[in-house]
Amino acid sequence: MKLSEEHITYIIKDLNYRGIVLDGFQDEMIDHICSGVEEEMQNGKRFIDAYHDILKAFGNTAGIRETQKQTLNVEYQKTKYMLRNYMKIALRNLAKQRFYTFINVAGLAIGVAACLVIVLFVMNELSYDKHHEKYSRIYRVNGEIKFGGNHWRLAVAPAPLAETLLNEYPEVKSSVRFRSKGSYLVKRNEEADNIKENNVMWVDSTFFKIFTVPVLQGNPDSALKDPNTVAISKKIADKFFVNENALGQTLIMDNKWPMKVTAVYETMPETGHFVFDILISMSGLEEAKSTNFLSNNFNTYVLLKEGVDARAFETKLPGLVIKYMGPQAAEFLGGEFTMEKFMASGNKLEYTLMPLADIHLHSDLAVEVRANGNIIYVYLFSAIALFILVIACINFMNLSTARSANRAKEVGIRKVMGSFRSHLVRQFLMESVLLSLFSFVLAIGIAYMFIPLFNDMTQKELALPLSAWSFYGIIFIAMLVVGVLAGLYPSFFLSAFKPVNVLKGRVSLGMKSGLIRSSLVVFQFVISIFLIIGTITVNRQLNYIQNKKLGFRKDQVIVIQDAYALQDNLNAFKEEVLKNSFVQSGTVSGYLPVASWRSDDTHWPEGSQPTQENMVGLQSWDVDQDYLKTFGMKMKEGRFFSKEFLSDSLAVVLNESAIKNFGFTENPVGKKISTYSDNNPDGTPDVNSIRSYEIIGVVEDFHFESLKQNISPLGFYLGESDGSVSFSLQAKNTNDVVKTIEKIWKSMAPGQPFQYSFLDEDFNRMYNNEQRLGKTFAVFAGLAIVIACLGLFALTAFTAEQRTKEIGIRKVLGASVNSIVVLLSKEFGKLIIIAFILAAPLSWLAVNWWLKDYIYKVEIGLFVYLLAGMISFLIAWITMGYQSIRAARNNPVDSLRSE
Amino acid sequence: MHSTELLKGTLQTIILKILADHGKMYGYEITQRVKELSLGSILLTEGALYPTLHRLEAEGLLTTETIMIGKRVRKYYSLTSQGKDSVKARVSEFVNFIRTMGNVLQVEMV
Repeated sequence: MKLSEEHITYIIKDLNYRGIVLDGFQDEMIDHICSGVEEEMQNGKRFIDAYHDILKAFGNTAGIRETQKQTLNVEYQKTKYMLRNYMKIALRNLAKQRFYTFINVAGLAIGVAACLVIVLFVMNELSYDKHHEKYSRIYRVNGEIKFGGNHWRLAVAPAPLAETLLNEYPEVKSSVRFRSKGSYLVKRNEEADNIKENNVMWVDSTFFKIFTVPVLQGNPDSALKDPNTVAISKKIADKFFVNENALGQTLIMDNKWPMKVTAVYETMPETGHFVFDILISMSGLEEAKSTNFLSNNFNTYVLLKEGVDARAFETKLPGLVIKYMGPQAAEFLGGEFTMEKFMASGNKLEYTLMPLADIHLHSDLAVEVRANGNIIYVYLFSAIALFILVIACINFMNLSTARSANRAKEVGIRKVMGSFRSHLVRQFLMESVLLSLFSFVLAIGIAYMFIPLFNDMTQKELALPLSAWSFYGIIFIAMLVVGVLAGLYPSFFLSAFKPVNVLKGRVSLGMKSGLIRSSLVVFQFVISIFLIIGTITVNRQLNYIQNKKLGFRKDQVIVIQDAYALQDNLNAFKEEVLKNSFVQSGTVSGYLPVASWRSDDTHWPEGSQPTQENMVGLQSWDVDQDYLKTFGMKMKEGRFFSKEFLSDSLAVVLNESAIKNFGFTENPVGKKISTYSDNNPDGTPDVNSIRSYEIIGVVEDFHFESLKQNISPLGFYLGESDGSVSFSLQAKNTNDVVKTIEKIWKSMAPGQPFQYSFLDEDFNRMYNNEQRLGKTFAVFAGLAIVIACLGLFALTAFTAEQRTKEIGIRKVLGASVNSIVVLLSKEFGKLIIIAFILAAPLSWLAVNWWLKDYIYKVEIGLFVYLLAGMISFLIAWITMGYQSIRAARNNPVDSLRSE
Repeated sequence: MHSTELLKGTLQTIILKILADHGKMYGYEITQRVKELSLGSILLTEGALYPTLHRLEAEGLLTTETIMIGKRVRKYYSLTSQGKDSVKARVSEFVNFIRTMGNVLQVEMV
């Protein structure tokens, strides 16, 4: 018999009343009982008796509830249900607290994004030169020479060293040399226009055997054996020979030398300490055949045999110095010279091996193949990344524990309802992992947008490896780790509450509690203040460099490069440009007062024998009569070169530093200095070619190298040097100037590329590293402060919310808005002052460490520290101020009436 | 009437075998069927049945479908392919167990 509607409704209601509510189970019970009742009624029982009989079979209310509980337990053991439940509650909680969720996610996302970008940068820096298969066996020979007041650390070695190493030592499997001759003008044939190529290098034919540079066309074994042959990169091949086979074709270098292309190789990756586009066969270079062991011009690399201990091998190199360099030096310096005596008097001539993979980050020597990175920056950036991540995590923990007061009741009720501590821990961990997940997804987005900017700043080509699975794997693991780490403390802290205390309202964990929370805030601000001071210091030093009196004019000077392309038209070009009214003066000279690699020549006062004591290493610059005028240096004594004096070809103008080094204390003008004017065929100075020059003037010291170095001795000679033409200008619109000069160039040097720069740009280029550091520091300091402030903002908002009642009562009792704002800000104010006291000495150490590299440096006074402290205090106060004022201005009626 | 203690370990096997023989069934139907087969000497307590059904479902041996019958919702259980595979093994395991028990208790099995 079928049950009526009323009966079914009765059963549903009654079961509900007995506490059968579990989703799914409830329906099942209803159906089961209804079926049972129907059958009993079939046997003639009344509805109500049948119903009670069936219930009895279950064990009445207690039994049926026990069944429900057991079913529920089964459900709970299914992981997916459990997780789903945690997830649901977590999402609800996060949605309920939108403001804190937002602050948490935003802060963590910014932190993670910054970290991600920096990790990419660091990985890129560390990957340099690792693409060479034999990189662990390749070493560069570095030189160190200390002699006659000079100290050089060189990335180059003498020409014959490479072959000598190979012949003398069985440990060496192969060796290769690079020799740079600067940039070249390259064209396909006589008719084509020249293109300037910067990355051109003369190399030995063993190049392809030692380095992993895949050759696409041609035979790598024979490619660079013959003179006048070149190997070119794919990039160059595509540039000069569009849709053609480059192999076997000819390229004309510097208008003079036709070179046959014998190989095309894969364009070298940017992550190498050298990137060459054109390799010229060393067999065509006379200088490479020199047997002179005293001039260092060749970057020399050796490939050691497998199993050779490089350090042990290195100890054999001093023997080489005595055997080969000793005799040549003795010949040059006179009979009594021995290498042993030379070393004993504090001099140094030493060659060492540097592993290939170390060059990019650990080498900053003279004549590097390319500007290298710096391991310090790798460390520094890693530290900053870590700091930012730590700040973000701290914020997270701070906010979660601060919210604990609000959630204390929740914890109490959950525990009363039978929640285990482990359930609560899992619930809170789930929340933090979820937040972490959101943040990481957001972080990838932020990093993706930020990377082009960062590339611009660091001149790198970084990209998120979005197609690599390992990237997502690592991100996922990092996400879990950050989520769990950040959630661990709050979850254990919260779940430890005793329900009795919480529900009685005894636990009021406001801002008063939490030594940990206070120290976390202090830590954040220590880092922020440190970064602010760092930023100010770097930028002030840069400013100082830019505005320092250098002793020459760097503004409004245009430098036209590769003047040799003008050939015979050089002087005509200069005269033609000078006709324009905006040009003040012009000079032809390859020597510019900005840092570059220039060699020293040995000089000594006339009339004495050259000895170790009286020799002065002097940079010799060949200039014309207009040099001084164009660059605006000042004479201290005497005069500069002039066309009126024909004898000037045997005259020299020294700088003050040179005068000091020569020991000319009084009236230097008129004295003479001597030098070797000629070299033997093997490259050693010809002892019979002594020539003397008369000092006609002394120029005031000017900074022609980076401010990291002292001003070294310098002499001007009247001579030809066609590297560049420079003009000093007086013009408002530099665009017009460039256009005018380019027109003249085009008419006098048809087909040659017009390359120019302004001297101040060249000057600034010397400090590229510092400028990048300055910018990067500023960006990351900004980020750190933003994240710290986000945290502080939320924390104050929270305190204000917590103390609503207190504030209300204070106002009722007559407190002013001001006094309440002060009350709320006081606690954080204290923390920031503590942070400042901790950060100041730390920054002082760091600043001094960084500035010690500079001979000429800015004074970082107490003011800077105070400024940094003020800035952070101000930012913090503005952050807090808004919240405090809002809280203080609330009408006490609203806050006191609630609840 | 058999004691519930003895039944506890066999409940899963009983349910699986019955479902294997009859296809899809709902809870009440299962209890009735057991009663019928055991000639009334096994009364499946509802308190044990439903948690067991849910556990078997969670283990993936059973699958369910619900059908609306007027105001009531009826939930039918049937074996999954995994459940079908395990029925034979469970039954033979149980038969072996009985045989072993016979030996242990020194009684003749029918």
